[in-house]
Amino acid sequence: MSNKVIENLYYTKSDEWLKVEDGIGTIGITDYAQDQLGDIVYLEKVEKGKKLKQDDTLTTIESVKAVSDVKTPVTGEVTEVNIKVIENASIINKEPYVEGWIAKMKIENKDELKNLMSAQEYSEYRKE
Amino acid sequence: MKLIFEKTVKGRDGYSLPQDLFDDIRIEECLPEYAINKGKKLLSEVSEVDVVRHFTKLSKLNYGLDDGIYPLGSCTMKYNPKINEKLASLGNFIYAHPLAPEETVQGCLEIIYDLNKLLCEITGMDEYTMGPAAGAHGELAGILIMRKYFVDHGDIRHKMLIPDSAHGTNPASAAMGGFQVVEVKSNEKGTVDLEELAKLMDEDTVGLMLTNPNTVGLYDEGIEEIEKIVHGKGGLLYYDGANLNASLGIIRPGDAGFDVVHLNLHKTFSTPHGGGGPGAGVIGVKKDLIPYLPTPNVTFNSNQKKYYLSDTGEKSIGMVRAFWANFSVLVKTYTWILSMGPDGLYNTSETSIINANYVLAKLKKYYKPAYDRYCGHECTVTGREYKKYGVKTLDIAKRIMDYGMHPPTIYFPHFEPYAEETIMVEPPESESKETLDKFIDIMIKISDEAKTNPELLTTAPHNTPIRRTNDALAIKRAILTYDDELKLKDELKYQEKDIDF
Amino acid sequence: MRYIPTTEKQKEKMLKDIGVSSFEDLIKSIPQSLRLKDKLNIPEAMSESELEDNIFHIAKKNADFYSMKPLIGAGSYRHFIPEAEKFLLQREEFWTCYTPYQPELSQGTLQSIFEYQSYISRLIKMEVVIPSIYDGASATAEAALMSLRLTHKNKIIVSNLLHPHYRETVKTYLAPHETEIIDLPYKNGLVDMEKLKILIEEDAASVIIQSPNFFGGIEKISEISEIVHSKGALLINVIVESMSLGILKAPGEMGADIVVGNAQSLGMDLNYGGPYNAYLGTRKQYIRQIPGRIVGETVDVDGKRVFVMTMRAREQDIRRERATSNICTNHNLNVLASNIFLSLMGTEGLYQISLLNAKSAHYLENLLLKSGKFEKVLNYPFYNEFLLKSKEDVSTVNKKLLENNFIPPLKICEFYQAENLNNVLLFAVTEVLSRDNLNLVAKILSE
Repeated sequence: MSNKVIENLYYTKSDEWLKVEDGIGTIGITDYAQDQLGDIVYLEKVEKGKKLKQDDTLTTIESVKAVSDVKTPVTGEVTEVNIKVIENASIINKEPYVEGWIAKMKIENKDELKNLMSAQEYSEYRKE
Repeated sequence: MKLIFEKTVKGRDGYSLPQDLFDDIRIEECLPEYAINKGKKLLSEVSEVDVVRHFTKLSKLNYGLDDGIYPLGSCTMKYNPKINEKLASLGNFIYAHPLAPEETVQGCLEIIYDLNKLLCEITGMDEYTMGPAAGAHGELAGILIMRKYFVDHGDIRHKMLIPDSAHGTNPASAAMGGFQVVEVKSNEKGTVDLEELAKLMDEDTVGLMLTNPNTVGLYDEGIEEIEKIVHGKGGLLYYDGANLNASLGIIRPGDAGFDVVHLNLHKTFSTPHGGGGPGAGVIGVKKDLIPYLPTPNVTFNSNQKKYYLSDTGEKSIGMVRAFWANFSVLVKTYTWILSMGPDGLYNTSETSIINANYVLAKLKKYYKPAYDRYCGHECTVTGREYKKYGVKTLDIAKRIMDYGMHPPTIYFPHFEPYAEETIMVEPPESESKETLDKFIDIMIKISDEAKTNPELLTTAPHNTPIRRTNDALAIKRAILTYDDELKLKDELKYQEKDIDF
Repeated sequence: MRYIPTTEKQKEKMLKDIGVSSFEDLIKSIPQSLRLKDKLNIPEAMSESELEDNIFHIAKKNADFYSMKPLIGAGSYRHFIPEAEKFLLQREEFWTCYTPYQPELSQGTLQSIFEYQSYISRLIKMEVVIPSIYDGASATAEAALMSLRLTHKNKIIVSNLLHPHYRETVKTYLAPHETEIIDLPYKNGLVDMEKLKILIEEDAASVIIQSPNFFGGIEKISEISEIVHSKGALLINVIVESMSLGILKAPGEMGADIVVGNAQSLGMDLNYGGPYNAYLGTRKQYIRQIPGRIVGETVDVDGKRVFVMTMRAREQDIRRERATSNICTNHNLNVLASNIFLSLMGTEGLYQISLLNAKSAHYLENLLLKSGKFEKVLNYPFYNEFLLKSKEDVSTVNKKLLENNFIPPLKICEFYQAENLNNVLLFAVTEVLSRDNLNLVAKILSE
């Protein structure tokens, strides 16, 4: 079971991570999530400029034997999309936290960060 | 193995052409120029001998039910009696044209008519339609009947309740039928949570789709309460008959209050799976829903002593297919029911329930049951305990193949927290105690191997014609036809041994 | 019971091992109030020989179809099936196995499906082929739904010369989606191009045509496709008589976006209407919206070339209510039948038989016209089915044919009410009718 967790990120119960820098949030899925999914083969296109509320579906991710929604951890507008991951979704399996980021968002409401978990909390939450 | 295309030798043929090819008529006289293909479309060029050897060799790469146990949970892989095949392939049946005059197909119509009556008695329903070709097709037809019923009563509803343990076809069919799917959680006993059901069931909901015993093989003892809750809000109860093999002669869905039922004739009723069909997914309904059945149905005119295909009427949901039914599957079903009789049907369910509980009792020390209670005709255990050795349920399944058996269903059903890493074993009535004992021994042996030599499992299977497949590559480098392969010839570089085995 | 090996004594032993004293203990969760009190009221079990007598007796109530030659098609065509196909099909490894979820134990089924996809891809000139949907009608409905998903539009235009059962089935499937379905009329036995130009607008998802159409007419697919594409709609071309593919140009070459085919002609018996099978072909760009199962090539850990079910995340068992279709069990054994059939036919065989069908149909049409008892009502190029108006009452004509061991042609008024189609028959001719047979038909009907 793979469950690497990175410090100083925010985490969701649906296994997304969020990195916050200057009001911009970078979103990806956790190591635990990629391990559960197995070989990731496809990521539905994310639309730049799209406005999403916390918990809305950002995109859908497909592996050989599973399909899962990626939820947005915070409300905001999509400012950037990782084209590399759209073109080659298996990057997420290899590097979920760095190269495997999916999209960046302009965070609208910082209060929402309170609903998210810390690295330690998430690690506890996904402990076997 | 080599593809049929790779066995082609130019100039070989496997077909005998009639002597008279009407050479006196020219092609231009009968077909317009805009439609004639330039040249011949390339298929393969092999002799009849080549074809027979090719497919015989291919068949040997398969594992069939006549090779041994096929304990796939939720699939009811029972013995397919040979007499069924003979009787379904009588010349008078297989050469019967579906639009031949009614007086020439009285035999076909009689079978459809009689089978309808037999299935009504077995399940406690009022009328069946034979049209749907498979379980999911029957589900769609059944859901469209429910929809039409409500529309007809001016009562527009939008939601369908489906337990989290249901087959994927249930939510997919409900969505095709235009409904929003609302999931009902199971409780710790593995059955429908009645409180939640009562909360979710409202007047915007057409009803509940239920499999009983459910997909973990457990009888829903709350069925009377469920019936009251759903009917209490004016909803309809849909019965997914995938697991009817546990109920024959014991309980009938019609008596339990179900309004629509689909039966998988290729499960409970012994018709072969054929590598994934054809089966048949006939549906039965209660009296109030008869007018909505697909068209046509078969009626009997007792004055003329004649059977007819007749239009179901203006309330019908319409046709769900071309022509009438997967007729040859119906003949096999009819034959099976007549060969079993009432006692045989009861014996079928009794034996399959004893079989499943026997397997559960013998395995539970080694594989933790998803629910610690007696099961119906299939039992669900888990491979969770072996995760700590780096072994997944998948590995256990693959290892079973090395012992010359087909593995059970794995990872279905799947919902947290009870049904994880599931192994669902369905040993139908046609499996003997000796076969079950052998299967149990192998499962126990594998549980030991998981602890002592996990690698044996994670690299299994070792003794099958091929070994584990790269499923991700199949998607990333999609080769869906031989022509796709030819385009990639340089990149692929197969050695002779890779394609000729 | 010969299909249940467990003896009563063994059952007792097993119950003991389970730790219960009776079977009843195992089924306590079934409420007593709902239990059956009596035995099921169905006939007592028959022995195998009684069973044979019984079913033989029922089969005899049919006409002796084995010795009859059909002059009817209309969606179900009797073609000759080589014995090698029937023999191979019955191998238990194919006949009794399950859906190939475990590729290590099902390469036979999987490779066969891949070969079939390859054959059909060449016959219809489409890159992607779904090997199996239940039948032509349900596959046409699936294609219609696919076109709605691809275009995000909710209107389709359906040719009146699409098989009436197919049209009905499309309506049934689309009812919950409240799709607008527009009838596309015919003119002189083919799609009315002028009407199509008027009917088609930017809001149409697709146009569904059949070629050869229900009257046997060969549509001008290229012209139709130009009109359809000019308004951004998809062209769905349905083939009901797949034997035509041996000689006719592939629809994929003429602009069709989705091709649906009833595969019954490729190695399947009439079976009073089923089971048949249908394929659905399309372009690679639409692959994410295809319904049903598909097989692809990959390698195993030893580097062997192997076949697996692929692109599975579209399917119901993974995507549930968001799946592209609910289809699960399909008609894989029929796929195998067609694969063996096409392998036996080969390049030359399929071409020759396909051509023979067209020639012998035209031969019969000519004979019947010459007899003076029939006349043409619509003038269109056809493949192996054609319409003729009878001067004699069609019921009398059909009675004569039946008496002479021919399954009579379809009275077209059963499906089309147009006045000029009164007393008109839809004849079908395949290679199972020899020149002598056809001469006899003409002779019977000339008297």
